[in-house]
Amino acid sequence: MKKALILLGCPESPSQTPLALYTTYALKKAGYEVTIASTPSASKLLEVSDPEQFYVNNRTDIESCLDNLEENIYDLLVGFVHKDAAVSYFVTFYHLLNTKSLAIVFEKDADLLEKFVNDVQENTDANIISARAYHNPTPLRVKIDQAIKELEE
Amino acid sequence: MSFCLELHLQQTQDYEILLSKAGFKDAKKMIETHSSNIVYVKPGAKILGSRIIGLPPIPIGIDESGNTITLPYTKPCHGTAVVKLPVEKEEIDKVKAIAIK
Repeated sequence: MKKALILLGCPESPSQTPLALYTTYALKKAGYEVTIASTPSASKLLEVSDPEQFYVNNRTDIESCLDNLEENIYDLLVGFVHKDAAVSYFVTFYHLLNTKSLAIVFEKDADLLEKFVNDVQENTDANIISARAYHNPTPLRVKIDQAIKELEE
Repeated sequence: MSFCLELHLQQTQDYEILLSKAGFKDAKKMIETHSSNIVYVKPGAKILGSRIIGLPPIPIGIDESGNTITLPYTKPCHGTAVVKLPVEKEEIDKVKAIAIK
């Protein structure tokens, strides 16, 4: 079975947790075993949102995950990028894993959104989907569906 | 016993924070202007027992006469800080050994 790693950033953006659950659902449907790496607080939000682990079966702490990363252990990296630190984490995970990667970039401020997209573009060959989003996950959900469909082709 | 950056920052006050809650590019600029001798490492390189987070190439400031290094330190919710701390010469040699330029 193909393995995907979803990397979450700081959980302060309200779109992140529902989109992480949705992306996990979509990737599992596409045949991936999914692990989510996150901070303890982002992990707690997932735990409360999915109490029976219907969607999220594998969660890991972002720091210990980072410590043990090496090439070829995942077939896909999906990163949620909505802060400067999340760009740095995504780029670092990308360089360590050296695998197919998708950056989901979102911010409510258009200038910051453009900056984050440019930073990811300049430092990786990852596919990028982006939207001005904060509360409303729908624009990104549509793009996530399309990106995962393209992964399957 | 090998140096552990996380433990050092948690359990001692023997370090200096030159910048905090910044973006990575500002942190990079700070290291490059603050340090006379700089080496660059890849994202994820292990320094003082921790992986260094950031955009390549990541600068590490080295002061061999004072036995200190200056590096970026990133956390998901707090952005990037620039930390200067004293280390053994052996740790400086390890950083130089993994430098890409």
